[in-house]
Amino acid sequence: MPTASAMPTNPLREGLLSRSAPEPCSLVIFGATGDLTHRKLVPALYNLAADGNLPPSISVVGFARREKSDEQFRTELETAARKFSRQKINDELWNSFASSIFYHQSEFTNLEGYETLAKRLDELDAQRGTRGNRLFYLSAGPDQFPIILENLRKSGLNKATPGSWARVIVEKPFGTDLPSAIELNDMVQEAFAEADTFRIDHYLGKETAQNIMVLRFANAIFEQLWNARYVDHVQITASEPLGVEGRAGYYDKSGAMRDMVQNHLLQLLTLTAMEPPTDLSADSIRDEKVKVLRSLRRISGEEVAQYTVRAQYAAGSVNGKDVVGYLQEEKMPAGSETETYVALEAHVDNWRWAGVPFFIRVGKRLPKGATEIALHFKSVPPVLFRQTGQAIDDNVLVIRIQPDEGVSLRMSAKLPGSSLRIEPVKMDFHYGTSFGKATPEAYERLLLDAMAGDATLFARRDEVEEAWKFVDAIREAWDSGEGGKLATYAAGTWGPNEADDLVKRSGAAWRRL
Amino acid sequence: MNTDSISNTEFAIPGFSPGLPVEIGRIEKDLGKLWEESGESKTRASLINLAIYTESAEAVAKNTDLIAQIASEHACRAILVYANHSAPTRGARAWINAHCHAAGKREICSEQITFQLDGDSPSALTNVVFAHLDSDLPLCFWWQGQFPRQSDSRLWSWIDRLIFDSNEWDDPAGQFALVRQIAGERTVLCDLNWTRLLSLRSGLAHFFDNACALPYLQRIDRVEIAHASGSRISALLLLGWLAGQLDWKLESVLGRHAFRAADGREIAFDLVETQGCCISSCRLSAGETSFHLERAQNGEFFHARMEGVSFEAAPQLLPAGRDRITDILLMELGRGGKHPIFLKALAAIEPLLAV
Repeated sequence: MPTASAMPTNPLREGLLSRSAPEPCSLVIFGATGDLTHRKLVPALYNLAADGNLPPSISVVGFARREKSDEQFRTELETAARKFSRQKINDELWNSFASSIFYHQSEFTNLEGYETLAKRLDELDAQRGTRGNRLFYLSAGPDQFPIILENLRKSGLNKATPGSWARVIVEKPFGTDLPSAIELNDMVQEAFAEADTFRIDHYLGKETAQNIMVLRFANAIFEQLWNARYVDHVQITASEPLGVEGRAGYYDKSGAMRDMVQNHLLQLLTLTAMEPPTDLSADSIRDEKVKVLRSLRRISGEEVAQYTVRAQYAAGSVNGKDVVGYLQEEKMPAGSETETYVALEAHVDNWRWAGVPFFIRVGKRLPKGATEIALHFKSVPPVLFRQTGQAIDDNVLVIRIQPDEGVSLRMSAKLPGSSLRIEPVKMDFHYGTSFGKATPEAYERLLLDAMAGDATLFARRDEVEEAWKFVDAIREAWDSGEGGKLATYAAGTWGPNEADDLVKRSGAAWRRL
Repeated sequence: MNTDSISNTEFAIPGFSPGLPVEIGRIEKDLGKLWEESGESKTRASLINLAIYTESAEAVAKNTDLIAQIASEHACRAILVYANHSAPTRGARAWINAHCHAAGKREICSEQITFQLDGDSPSALTNVVFAHLDSDLPLCFWWQGQFPRQSDSRLWSWIDRLIFDSNEWDDPAGQFALVRQIAGERTVLCDLNWTRLLSLRSGLAHFFDNACALPYLQRIDRVEIAHASGSRISALLLLGWLAGQLDWKLESVLGRHAFRAADGREIAFDLVETQGCCISSCRLSAGETSFHLERAQNGEFFHARMEGVSFEAAPQLLPAGRDRITDILLMELGRGGKHPIFLKALAAIEPLLAV
């Protein structure tokens, strides 16, 4: 099968695109009536159409259990697109785009439904020129993945005809631990090759996450300082004021460690800590990220209590409103010990980062929502300004992922006046201030990349499994009781005192966000 | 030349002022004061220096509106220069203002400095631009109208992106030759007329992203372009782009022009003047097969159709972009990078510019 790179290139594209062009295809969404399809996928597809970025031929086929016609499905999606699209819906364009949307009713468990889907896709190929290329999006619950993958395989939908391709997009969670991730990955690979598997971590589709590599490797001043010689410690934070928001069933089985740390936060850590890749190809970048994950010092047994803190929110107040504690949330199992907050000290045991703690904290019901990476640089020698009797704040480089994406640098400056007084000042770059243009949603970029066969912003199997190895060791100690007790924190605070003590040991303090 | 007097604060058009009159020597101080007085709710931002040169007093008001719109997407220090060559005496006047837009709880503001340069003094232009740049930021210079035969070479050598609109030129062959001669080595030439073609070029390229359609590129034997009156250069640049990218060479026999492909195939072309937008239609034919982009008057989309192809292809709507000059400039500033394809396109149709 010719790969995207082996295809003859379109000479008219030269200078117009700095990425691979998406190829004609049918996109089949499993779980097409779900929230993700309505809030993210269809608005993203519409915005791609509005920007002229969809491939020359595309069919979008929703696969779900409920009975409905193509027309009903289109109407539902139009309502959703009008609500959630970042660009206003143009009726003429919507009608044109909607004519490429189809609905296929079937239970996920019903093999016959997949066989009729195969026939329908063949017909759409003939009618719409989608060339037998298929992109299957698993947007259903993870418990449905095995049966969907099995039926895709049994119906032969996973096999592309010569000259075409069949790819699969898998939404997180990629398993719940290493064995389940291996099982899922094996199952996926029984149906699809790794090169045709696209595991979505939508953080990687965010502009600022993509900017980390540019900031590091396109600016000579930063990379020279990006190592243990100059960096004292790194803090990676993802805080949110929301609680479980009616997802008690899912969240209570998952917890902050599986829901956020295993994927999003470790991805941010790898982008921060990785070595420069040899080139910008998907595998060169992912090779470097995997090396970081392999270099992560495993925390297990009694060390877990020393290097991690887990906590659950109790009742409190967020944004001036009283909120219930985790255990009082609707449909929450009594006595649940699921963590809604994690703080941990990680170490990347390689030449560059030896001795530099990477502090990670993530939590629900914290005072505000923010995701950022902060590099705290080492102190200057306390020689020159000793006589002034002032403490000089360390330099801090902050990469804000969301909201208010940007980069800031804290440095020291002399306060104007006849005496020598030193105060911290901040140089601040805000994407929103400098570039007024709305940036595309992460899903737009990721869908486009999957259609083009570019896996750079998707997690590779070994990345996922290495991340689970790190997380599982901690979880095992927590579950056995060896890893310390579950702490509590009042909703609307920055987490338990134990988390403050965790960073204090290294002479650090959590950043005030 | 008196540059420090503020005795005359009136702009060339009575009743219109491009901002707060200031002494030229105090511009930076007065701008600083402007920000001090505005408190903390306003944030000054700047990513580029955007200089605009015009010889039309009427264009100053239009350009001020344009800068306000540009600044909402590209924070900049704007320097607007009106050269009043017909003034009997030499002199210079300046005004400052700010363009702010809401961004959350704050207002983000860009600065504009407007100069009126009376009399004929190329060195005054160079001086006011050099003296008021936001340091270390790139200089994008939009020269509106015709380029002068005589000018100060030091000005051009400082420009990072030289913006112009070849649709405004009376003598495109001469002007293109001149602009290549005066531009500094590192200067990127940005013809807004080329930028105007971006959606159209993307639309045409889109046909051939389909691997089944790609072989037809090597069989094209006719190009038909419908363009508005005054948009012939746009049509020629589009033709030049196709020729440059597909390696066609222009041949002229007894006043008849056609392209010749490397395989010996002749490619005829037809540029037809019609009513409507800049370029309302472009059809690429390969025998009985055609690839056609068509845009209705004031339409927001191109209707993309493939006819006679050996595979199925559904018609599509593709964005046609906007025709307002502000949108074209925004698009140009948002692209960045060099434009080697433009130079290739220009070279492919150079002999036709004078026809």
